Parts: sequence; structure tokens; C-alpha cells
Amino acid sequence: MQTAFTRGAPQQAAPMTTPFLVAHDIAKAFGGAQALKGVSLDIAPGEIHGLVGANGAGKSTFIRILAGLNHPDAGRIEIDGQTREIATPQRATELGMSFIHQELAFVPGMTVLQNIMLGVPKKSRFGLTDWRAIARDVAPIARRVGISAPLNASVKGLSTAEIWLINICRALVRKARLIVMDEPTASLAASEAERLFAIVRDLSASGVAVLYISHRLDEVLNLCSRVSVFRDGRSVAELAGKGLNRPALVEAIVGGAIRDSQRTAATRPRGDVVMEASKLTRAPKVRGVSLKLHAGEVLGIGGLVGAGRTELARLLFGADRPDSGEMRLAGQPYQPASPAAAVRAGLGLIPEERRAEALFLSKSIAFNLSIANLDKLVHGRYLPLMNRRARTLMAGEMIRSLSIKARNASTPVGRLSGGNQQKVAIGRWLQRTPKVLILDEPTRGVDIGARAEIHRLIRQQADSGMAVLVISSEPDELPDLCDRVLVMAEGRIVRELTGQAVSRKAIVEASYVDPQALMEDHVA
Amino acid sequence: MSDVAISARRLSPGTKAVLGIFARYGTIIGLLAMIVTFSILSPHAFPTVNNFTNVLNQASLAMIIAGGLTLAVVVGELDLSIGFAASLHGILITGLVVHDKLPIPLAVVIVIALGAVIGLVNGFIVTKVKVNSVIATLGVGTILTGLAFAYSAGVPIVAGVPEAFLQLSLGRWLFGIPNNIIVMILVLGGLWLLVERTPLGQEIQAVGGNAVAARLAGVNVDRIKILGFVISGMCAALTGILLASRLGSGTASAADSYLLTAFAAVFLGSATLRDGEFHVLGTLVGALIIAFGFNGLNIFGAPTFSQYVLQGAILIIAVGMASLGRSLAER
Repeated sequence: MQTAFTRGAPQQAAPMTTPFLVAHDIAKAFGGAQALKGVSLDIAPGEIHGLVGANGAGKSTFIRILAGLNHPDAGRIEIDGQTREIATPQRATELGMSFIHQELAFVPGMTVLQNIMLGVPKKSRFGLTDWRAIARDVAPIARRVGISAPLNASVKGLSTAEIWLINICRALVRKARLIVMDEPTASLAASEAERLFAIVRDLSASGVAVLYISHRLDEVLNLCSRVSVFRDGRSVAELAGKGLNRPALVEAIVGGAIRDSQRTAATRPRGDVVMEASKLTRAPKVRGVSLKLHAGEVLGIGGLVGAGRTELARLLFGADRPDSGEMRLAGQPYQPASPAAAVRAGLGLIPEERRAEALFLSKSIAFNLSIANLDKLVHGRYLPLMNRRARTLMAGEMIRSLSIKARNASTPVGRLSGGNQQKVAIGRWLQRTPKVLILDEPTRGVDIGARAEIHRLIRQQADSGMAVLVISSEPDELPDLCDRVLVMAEGRIVRELTGQAVSRKAIVEASYVDPQALMEDHVA
Repeated sequence: MSDVAISARRLSPGTKAVLGIFARYGTIIGLLAMIVTFSILSPHAFPTVNNFTNVLNQASLAMIIAGGLTLAVVVGELDLSIGFAASLHGILITGLVVHDKLPIPLAVVIVIALGAVIGLVNGFIVTKVKVNSVIATLGVGTILTGLAFAYSAGVPIVAGVPEAFLQLSLGRWLFGIPNNIIVMILVLGGLWLLVERTPLGQEIQAVGGNAVAARLAGVNVDRIKILGFVISGMCAALTGILLASRLGSGTASAADSYLLTAFAAVFLGSATLRDGEFHVLGTLVGALIIAFGFNGLNIFGAPTFSQYVLQGAILIIAVGMASLGRSLAER
């Protein structure tokens, strides 16, 4: 409808020999934790460069530094051969970088065009935004990336894939020369992903470089000419050409040289099946999960962030309802309508986000410990008041036995360190001696000393006959702690590891297994 | 905000401690300062047993309705229906007693039960239909106003109110303490006991503190929230009954203004003793500040409009100072 005003592909005259971006030995620490110990990476104009690594390898920190959200402690970044400091996100945009995060940036109430122009300086006439002129400029770009919705339509009701295209379009309007894509296919259907790949290749052909971050190794192998691998805050490998294949990638991600730590969790004799799930499904995160949890065992659930582990825990705990599938607890059918019902049935959950989901930060340790045990802290049947003395005693005892570092039981939990907060969250359930205790990332953000204590505590509970389920993304945690590990990928359990087979390497390898392929194995 | 942050860095520990104390005890210090000032300025009229009893008697109705509202805000919701509800309850009880000739105790029970039902409806709309509590209770409150006008046909019920009904509010008991004060003490005492000393109260505080954590700790969050609304509704009914008895009539909008007073008392209370948390004792202090402030202005013959200005100003100053003091002291 508008006159064709075709803007050329945003190419620069830089010769192909000069990389667009070079990062030299970037290091970054947060508090005491060294997130990046030295990563280097270069990206040529128009290159599709892959970036892979296990959880906590430092990918996110690296991207945040490129985006100007964090500043490196050491190292150097060059753009077009010139050393640059990326002080702010605005600066990153000026330098020609655009970022498409997993959580796509868009405003639901606005039109497609308004969303494309979100945060982009706009043409104006007489001080008013000249949307007609902008639409004229944007239309060809939108056509090029394949946005089918009219520019003046609302984004309401558009699919994730279309929102993703809007984000791409925004990057192109900003004349981006490097687009960083973080897990772009995480929430896309297979056909949508195909379309996305085509666009990525088209971008590359027109000279726009792409940094492609994904846990899906097949995609990375398909799309990328070179792949950088991060491990424990270092860039450990750069694979290209013939060296770029699946086994090599897995090897680099896991780190072949790293010996597995001694398996401290000896396989204990385990008791009867306490909890059982069969074909538990809640789309799209949990798909047909079956598991058996025995009394006296610590069962680990490994896998990548987003594999559906937390969602599985929420189903078991009644926080969400499954679409289909069955659960049994101590042989009886178990369909918890709420966490309250699960607690009554004998479960306890220590959620992943302890400050947001487990604790009452402004309340005392005693309050936090007693909230799931109020029935035990009443004066008596005829005096339904809190027995405050009993509560203080109970809290004091817990503080001692879990060695929680606090002045006394009335200290607000918000003032405690992460490790001590976690002990309070665990202590809450120990009062009840639940049949099943589920811990989601029990030692995240916890110092080494507290971590060892929490591990000892968890094993103690299993020794006394409790069935314990531990979810962890830390590769070393599950081999240290668990008798048996189930690995989840994309909502399914893809492998079971027992005894000496439980190792960091086996868990990480299984996390990257293509679940489609494995499902066929199961059917067979 | 950043200006405050920068200047806060230079505060000495001593200053921080003082600010922290002011954040918690500022309202109580203010209340005492007000009483002392009024006592000095008007030594004959203000600091008398008679005047204090009078102030408490006047304030009791607001304290009861504010006590109920405290339960709604403790569980993290707002109840804007209470003033309109109290008006309806007032006209309804007058009608039941005057027109239907019901025995007074029965009429009281019926009206309080209606208050509980209104709370139940509010709670249901908020927790199950998931309507924001401001909208839900404003809607319900507006409907109640309509019902009040429908019931009274817009005409206040004045004639034929029996003496026994007037005595509900005007009577005195136990050493000549006005009934209103006794009811207020029983209600606030009961609410305090419920929130601070019972297992249910722990759950109520948990829901207000962090509803997500409360749910995952096995607390039935919806039920607790509904309970908050029900108690709020019952207290509104009680205030409506006592007001009708005090006025000797039922009028369709008599208690509407209690909404603002109750909110002022509750939010003043959140700036008392605890760091920004709502609690029954705080509400009591908040209501006392408003009551003594009004009383002092009355004694000095200040015009009516100044009372509203005072109520608004005290609220903003007290809550503002407490929150500012708290954020400075915590840095």
C-alpha cells in the first residue's frame, strides 16, 4: 500500500577479517562468588555463533555484561576493532547490539507497531510522533521478518512466535549488527522453531551476526558455524567445522577432565514405596512423569533449569492440579486439592524461592518455624490459645539442633543469612516428621559450611525413614546427596541413575538428551 | 528517593536508633504530646475523668468498626463496604425493633448475622471470583446503600423507638462505665486475642505477611481471607446497631463517614509499634489519636471543617514520618 522504501540490509563496510565483537578474558564476581573467571569470544559480522554451557557456567552474566547491565571486573571488549566500554544498555544499543531475552519484551495493550518501536527513538512532526512515517519505514522490515499481522493491530492474541518476530523487528529497526538470542525456542512449537531458524539464517545472510544461546544442542549444531562452550565461568572450548559435533559439545560442557567427587551417599537400604506418580501431566511443563519414591531414600531430580522439575514438585505438593495422571501416597490414591491437603497427608515442601515463597521475613524465627505446626502448640482443647512458652522452647531447640546462627527465637528471619534462612525453612517441616519431604534447590545461595550442614540434615531425615526428594541444578549436589537420581528434560524423565552410575557427568549428559528420541526408547 | 538514600549514608548509628524509635513509637509519643498540650491549654475542661470517658464513649463506635477493618487489612485486603454496611444495619435494626416489634436481642443477632453474610459475600467475590478487594467491596457497599434507601424509602425511622433500644448505647454498666466502652473493650480485646494469641491468628498474620509462603506452608489462604471479611462485616454491624441506638433513629447514610475514620485509625495504627504492619493495638492507638484530636478542637471551639483537615493531616504526617523514619533507620 505504501511506496516501497526498501532499506538495505544494515551492513557496515568493515572487512570480513575484523570481527564485529571480541571479548578478552572477561571476569566478574558477585559478592564472593566468581561468576566469570575469564571468558573470551569473538563474533564475525554475519556469523551465527553458538553459546552453550551448564546452569551457572556464566552465560547469563556474560550477556548481561554485553548488554551493559553489569560491568566486568577485568577484561576488554572490542567492537569493530576498537576497545569499548558498555556502561549502559543504551550504549549497547548504540554500539549495534540487541538482546532478545527468554522473557520477551512487549506491552500487551499496544499495537504491533508500537511494540516494534518500544524504546526506539521515533520520528516526529511538530512535536508529535509521526506514526504514519514510522509505519512507512517499518513496513518493509516487518515484511522481511514475516510479521503477518497488520502493524496497527493489537498484539493481544498473537502467538509467542509472533511476539518473537516483533522483537527481531525491533532489533532491525535499531540497525542491530549483533542480535543476542537467549533460549529462543524454549516456548515455541516445532513448526514455529523452523520458521525462526529460517529468519536467523536470513539475518546472517544479510550481515547481521547472531549469538545463539540454547540448551538444545541439535539446534545449535544445525544453525551455528562456531560454538563457544562455557564451564564454571571460563570459556573452555570453541568448536567449529569437523570438531563441531554432539559428543564433543557434551564433553566440553561436562568437562571430561573433572573427576567426580567421591560418592558420599552410600546406597542405603530403602523401604517401601511411599509415594508414586504415574503419567503425571500438566502441559506444557510436565509430561507423563512416572516415579516411585521409597521410604528412607534421597531421590534426586536433575536436569536443566526449565526442565519442569519445580512444576513437578508443585504437582506432588498440591500447589497445582495435574491435567492427567495419578498419584498414590502410602498405597492410597492421593489427589491433593491444595498444599494444605498435602500437608495433612504428610508432605512438606521447601520451595525454590525461599524469600518469596517460604519465609515471612518480617516475622520471628519462632513464627516461621511454628506456622506449619500450630496444632501442636496449643495450650489444650479447652484453651485454644497459642502456648507461647512451648513455642519458644521448640524454636530454641530447633535453633540449637540445626545450629541456626541467630541471637534468639524472636529475631526476624529477614535478618538471617541465606543458609540460616534455609535452615528455618527446613526446620518448619522437621517438627511434623512428614512422610515425604521435597526440597527444591536446597542450597542455592548458601555458603559451603551451611551447605554441608543442610546435606547432613537431609541424610539424617532419610536415615530415620523419611522419603526425601531433592531438586537441584548444581551438578555436584545430587551425586553428593542422593541414592538415586532421575534426570528430567523438557518435562519428561529421560534417565534413571542408581548407585555408582550417579555422577555429575551422567546427569549433565542425560540433561541434554533429546527427549523425543528417548520417548521412542521407552515405547519400545 | 535517591536523595534520601545519599543523605542516609551520613547518618550516625545514634541518629538511626532515634529514627527507628520514632518510627515505632512516634504515634504514641504524638498521642501523649497531644493529651499533655490540651491539658495545659485547657486544664479545667480537658483532663477530667468526665471528658476522657466522654471521648472514649464517642470513639468506641469508630474503634469497633476500625477493629473489624483491621482484620481485613491484616489478611492483605481492603474493605470499603463497612461504612455503607453500618448504615444499612442501623436502619435495619431500627426497623426490626420499631416496625416488626422483634425482641431486641433477636434483632441484634439477626443484624450481626447479616453483617457476617455481607463479609462472606465480600470474601467470596475477592477470593473465588478474584475481583480486586477495592472494587468488590466498593460495589457491595454501593448495593448496600441502595438497599438501605429501599428499606427506609428514603425516610429516617425516628418515631416509636423504644427506650430499651436507646439504652443499648446510652446505658451504663459496671461502675457506671458506658455500654459502648464495655462493648468496645470486649471486641478489641477479643480481636487482639484472636490475632496475637491463637493458632488461627498466626495463620491470619502469615497470610498478611506473605500469602504465597502461607499457602505453601499449608495455610488455607482463601478461608483466612474470607474470615477477615466476615469479622470486618460483623464489626460494621455492631457499630451500625450502636449508632442507631445512640441516635435513636435509623437513617440511610448515618454511618457512611465511619469508613474514613476507620481507615485513618487502621493506617495510623500500622505506623505504631510494628514496622508498617497492621495490628489491633495499633488501630486502638490510631483511633485514640483521632478521638482526642477531635475532642481538643471541639473544646477550643474550632469549626467542624477543621476536624476533617486535622484527620487527614494527622494520618499523612504520622504514616509518612513512620515510613520515612523506618527507611532511614534501616540503611
